[in-house]
Amino acid sequence: MSKQNLTDYKDTLFRVITFGAAMVVLVVIVGIFVSLVEQSLPAIRKFGFFHFITTPIWDPVHEVFGAASSLYGTIVTTVLAMAIAIPVSIGIAIFMTELCPNFLKGAMGTAIELLAAIPSIIYGMWGLFTLAPIMGNTVEPFLQHTIGKIPYLGSLFSGTPLGIDILTASTVLSIMIIPFMASIARDTFMLTPQVLRESAYGIGATRWEVIRNVVLPYSKGGVFGGMVIAMGRALGETMAVAFVLGNKHQIAHSLLDASATITVTLANEFTEADSNMYMASLFYLALILFVMSFLTLAAAKFILKERSAP
Amino acid sequence: MNKTIKLANDRVLIRVQNLSFSYGHVRAVKDISMDVAKNSVTALIGPSGCGKTTFLRCFNRMHDLYPGNCYEGKILMGGRNLLGKDVDITELRAGIGMVFQKPTPFPMSVFDNIAYGLKLKGIRNQTELSHRVESALKHAALWDEVKDRLKSGASGLSGGQQQRLVIARALAVEPKVILFDEPTSALDPISTSKIEELIFRLKEEITVIIVTHNMQQAARISDYTAFMYVGELIEFNETDVIFTNPDVKLTEEYITGRFG
Amino acid sequence: MNILTKRKIQNKMALSLSVLAAAIGLFWLFFILWDIFRHGMSFITMDLFTKDPMPPGFKGGGLRNAFVGQMLITLVAMVIGIPFGILGGTFLSEYGRHSRLGRFISTLSDIMVSVPSIVIGTFVYAIMVRPIGHFNGWAGGVALAIIMIPVVIRTTEDMMSLVPWSLREAAFALGAPYYKVITQVVYRGAATGIFTGILLSIARVAGETAPLLFTSFNNSFFTTNLNESTPSLTVTIFQYAMGPYDDWHGMAWAAALVITVAILLVTVAGRLLIKWRYRN
Repeated sequence: MSKQNLTDYKDTLFRVITFGAAMVVLVVIVGIFVSLVEQSLPAIRKFGFFHFITTPIWDPVHEVFGAASSLYGTIVTTVLAMAIAIPVSIGIAIFMTELCPNFLKGAMGTAIELLAAIPSIIYGMWGLFTLAPIMGNTVEPFLQHTIGKIPYLGSLFSGTPLGIDILTASTVLSIMIIPFMASIARDTFMLTPQVLRESAYGIGATRWEVIRNVVLPYSKGGVFGGMVIAMGRALGETMAVAFVLGNKHQIAHSLLDASATITVTLANEFTEADSNMYMASLFYLALILFVMSFLTLAAAKFILKERSAP
Repeated sequence: MNKTIKLANDRVLIRVQNLSFSYGHVRAVKDISMDVAKNSVTALIGPSGCGKTTFLRCFNRMHDLYPGNCYEGKILMGGRNLLGKDVDITELRAGIGMVFQKPTPFPMSVFDNIAYGLKLKGIRNQTELSHRVESALKHAALWDEVKDRLKSGASGLSGGQQQRLVIARALAVEPKVILFDEPTSALDPISTSKIEELIFRLKEEITVIIVTHNMQQAARISDYTAFMYVGELIEFNETDVIFTNPDVKLTEEYITGRFG
Repeated sequence: MNILTKRKIQNKMALSLSVLAAAIGLFWLFFILWDIFRHGMSFITMDLFTKDPMPPGFKGGGLRNAFVGQMLITLVAMVIGIPFGILGGTFLSEYGRHSRLGRFISTLSDIMVSVPSIVIGTFVYAIMVRPIGHFNGWAGGVALAIIMIPVVIRTTEDMMSLVPWSLREAAFALGAPYYKVITQVVYRGAATGIFTGILLSIARVAGETAPLLFTSFNNSFFTTNLNESTPSLTVTIFQYAMGPYDDWHGMAWAAALVITVAILLVTVAGRLLIKWRYRN
């Protein structure tokens, strides 16, 4: 073999190796989908799709399984967490880009990024030992005595406040996603050209008017995309909610009731599943969660791509 | 040796007295005294880094947005010192428009861009708004080009159109002064001449201060020219004098292109 | 009321709300850190690192088994995740930089970074635990590696893309084949960035709990045999915190403190490295 041929051969080899390594991502994603479908086949055959997601019963003893209660818990905790986290993280981002004195900017940025690096189990454990008692003893009785008295709205806060419930879980979840959301919002706000801000100041806008009419509209696509990614993460978050949600399969009407999310169900029951149908139903839940979060994240990527396109 | 002329009191709109400006420890504008005549175009010229933009940004106190700014001296307008502590900066900026190097349309429709300053002033009446938007756009010679797309986004306009849109936006709030910071440096020659014509016409109603690195532009559109060098005002006179018979050698060297 | 006054009041109110939001956010976050230090410190002892757990209900013991198990599982994840990640990232930034497939995989990796880690746990259970019939440490390592790969792929791609194209051209001009340009020029230019990405990805997987729950599971005994269920700090925290004994709770706090400090240190180191390397 000539030297030139050997070189070509080595280059092709390297190309093939790197290509193979990159393909691992695709293989894993397809693998997850195929194996989850395969494992949940018994449950898919027995319960179907619409029947499964609309049945609120989760009864391992009689082997009747439905995803409605877990789905409900997943969606309610996610929505509530987003409702708390969005205004707070946008507020933080506004503070960091528009108000914060320079010497604080770096420190706050570092703090936020460090807090985003703390693993979710730490948030969950803290939620169980510290936040749950505070919620159960102070915050929730207070809410019952105030908002709880309002007709209709009050029913959201009925029941015995124990601190292990949807409200606490959503709070922990929101605290956990705030750093991530705030740093995305900050990065997006910073993309607003300074001269655009100056020209709004130039016609006599106040700081808030500059933020509301220039910075926010300019960055809405990026912020929205970031929020959707955060939502995708919140949907699949396990440890932050596993400690404080109570894992109770019910469609809870009050925020002070225990509930279960798909992730919490999996975390608590996967190792205990003793029958094939039980196991298959859990895999079915995992499959639904995978598809749900994958689609959410893909949508977020799409939004962000549309925005960056000229 | 610096050389500046004094204008007759009744012609002066703004009087700058011993103005110095520093960012932290850097003194970017040094002890400038200069008059700005009412209904005229005053050009600030000089090599890059001479402090002309910094000087311009003192008039609407844009520097106040950033920490470490320090003004000394006075900018008097109608007997009031614009640099005074009691001055309401928001109100001040509403009365002094500014146009930047690159067009800065806000992320909203053409109409809303123009109406923005008016809405800030509290004008909510739709008829009045559309009337004033139309008149500002006509004023900026943009009406015919955008009248059918008032509701579409301003980012769809060409660079030259965007720059005239920004001028119209500044005009809509009827300021006394408009500051231009190299408004044509990012534009093609045709758009540039349109903007120059516009600025030339504007002085019938308002006063213009323009920073430019293009000497022909200063000669074409301005009535007075100030030549700055390393933060100092070297020479200030009627434009014709500056370009035909400057007093200071440095000015002459710059005008004739020997440096800068 | 004067419109300007009204606007100013509005301005003050909105800005105060934003400061309040920042204060609320930071308050919770510092509260958590402070709580972990406060509780965790009092349970940090030599025994924690040198002794294995006592049977439930007995006093004393430590978490040596979990520390060692955690390291073994993380090591397996690194051995698999780092090479695949770097090589995959190389493809995306070099050979596949203009191909549709390359961009598609890059997007998929971004999505994979945020896919629920518990789902990856169920997947690895299906392929590595169910067929064998028992939990094992290898499965835990593989699950963490699957989380690690997309993170390393994306940082490698980004860091290699930052190396100026002219540098590659200069090497091509000397007659170097592409693989040599990559291994000898591009890798060298991107080394710090890739290394930082790896550090951060280790920090990320070291805190993962959900994917280990049904792969490596847990084990209250010391083991270095990854063919059996292997203990990890995170799963131990979950089990101990949910358990009934005060002793367990104390150990959970201590383990939480150790993990938090370790992850924060690695994260800070990574940030400093990046700052130092890309300060210009």
